[in-house]
Amino acid sequence: MMNTFQYDFSELDVDGERIGRLLGYGEGYQADDFSGLIRELVGNVAPVCSAKAEYRIYPVEEWKNAGKSVTIHGIDFSLKNVVFAQVRKAESFALFICTAGPEPEKLCRKAMEDGDPLASYIYDMIGSEIAERASRLVLLEVRKAAEISGLRVTNRYSPGYCGWDVSEQHKLFELMPGNSCGVSLNASALMNPEKSVSGLIGIGADVNFDPYPCSSCRRTDCLYRMTQERNNVT
Amino acid sequence: MNDILARIALCVESGKTDKASPYPPGMKGQDGADEITKLAIEEGLGPARILDEALIPAMAAVGERFSRKEIYVPQMLMAAKAMNSSMKHLKPFFQSGETKRKGKFIIGTVSGDLHDIGKNLVAMMIEGGGWEIIDLGVDVSADKFLRAIEGNPGAFVGLSALLTTTMENMKKTVAVLKEKHPGIRILVGGAPVTREYCDKIGADFYSPDPQGAVNYLKQFAV
Ligand code: B12
Repeated sequence: MMNTFQYDFSELDVDGERIGRLLGYGEGYQADDFSGLIRELVGNVAPVCSAKAEYRIYPVEEWKNAGKSVTIHGIDFSLKNVVFAQVRKAESFALFICTAGPEPEKLCRKAMEDGDPLASYIYDMIGSEIAERASRLVLLEVRKAAEISGLRVTNRYSPGYCGWDVSEQHKLFELMPGNSCGVSLNASALMNPEKSVSGLIGIGADVNFDPYPCSSCRRTDCLYRMTQERNNVT
Repeated sequence: MNDILARIALCVESGKTDKASPYPPGMKGQDGADEITKLAIEEGLGPARILDEALIPAMAAVGERFSRKEIYVPQMLMAAKAMNSSMKHLKPFFQSGETKRKGKFIIGTVSGDLHDIGKNLVAMMIEGGGWEIIDLGVDVSADKFLRAIEGNPGAFVGLSALLTTTMENMKKTVAVLKEKHPGIRILVGGAPVTREYCDKIGADFYSPDPQGAVNYLKQFAV
């Protein structure tokens, strides 16, 4: 099964306060001298933004407790402890890719060339926020579809987070050939456009959504810790 | 300190680029780094003094305040922008060779990696430390770094990477550069990079933020 989405900018609910926190202020961010500029630049991105997402559902073929891996469509995903534990009861998975599209990056580069490093930086953060918001919408879509069948979903997990190796993205992309988002993966597991997120969501009757996903991670300097805690969909 | 130099330093520290710039709100309508640097040169204050007594100390203060979390990235970038508007008046003197900078710094994001923004921040702050920046961009092969080193003897090199996978290319790049130029000093950074990794791959210095690199480079300034 394949599901594709193209998001209207307004659906993404891009939020100046979260962008402020991404700019490095952390939880304590309050509107300041730059709030107007953030709003203005968000306004420039809005009409050109082409955020897209796609997910495909695959049933679980086999769990391998010893290797903390799961086989999907003949491919072994080595999830490692944290992700494995969180999705262990899933009956199927939604694999997803989503992207803010190339536009935020173009605006970011242009601003740098025009000698405006702050605008460039803010565009970069807007792109990150869009990609992150798009991945949240994917979760909502998957949850909606699961609920119709009386099923539940886990959090979204991405290769490169929670100990799951970033190079496992190659396997994920193999199961999403010709993805409609136009996202490509290079040999070093870097997605292009840069403002893209890949991952999976577990689906099943017995799975749980963890409202505090960051509590199992040791990383303290993750900007996402600050934004994600408020991003939660419980 | 000379009054004009003090005013340039204040503009840079406050992020006041030029008269038209509305930032910071408290300096609205006043001359900025652009106008005052122009005035300084007309008044015969040499570019070397502007660099050494105004720009470098101002940017160092900005970097320190950033490290102490007294200011955030936006303020730091406004300072960098103000510094650029001042530096533009000094560039002709650098080009003619009349004024020397502290040295040359080649920077790039390693091959297979397209992440730009962190590298750009580092480049700006090191430029603010008085160094000439040779920015090779993103997805830079070891070969391209080698050519830049050959064209700029004595230059220092900075490598940036975003993912643990592209960090592997950082390791390969360090190996290639060190083999051809054993004496070259290589600085590394980026989200997944650590001090341990820097030591393991034989790079010379790691810093989680730009200011650490600026401070490290000070000892080598000519
Ligand atoms: C924002 C963000 C995103 C955004 C934007 C990503 C982008 N590249 O633009 C989105 C949501 C799209 C995203 C996606 C992904 N992300 Co992400 N992301 C981040 C986050 C939170 C911040 C990155 C950032 O922009 N920081 C701000 C900039 C300015 O900082 P910086 O580039 O690090 O540079 C600073 C320093 O590192 C240093 N520095 C940088 N270079 C140099 C060089 C020298 C010489 C020196 C001295 C210093 C130095 O100075 C700079 C200024 O302070 C980091 C975690 C973190 N706290 O860093 C994870 C992080 C980079 N992401 C990570 C991962 C895994 C991913 C994904 C692979 C997840 C996935 N499967 O979808 C994708 C990859 C995207 C792609 N294109 O391939 C990992 C990477 C580590 C790894 N496991 O490989 C990180 C580290 C999070 C983690 N797990 O801990 N991500």
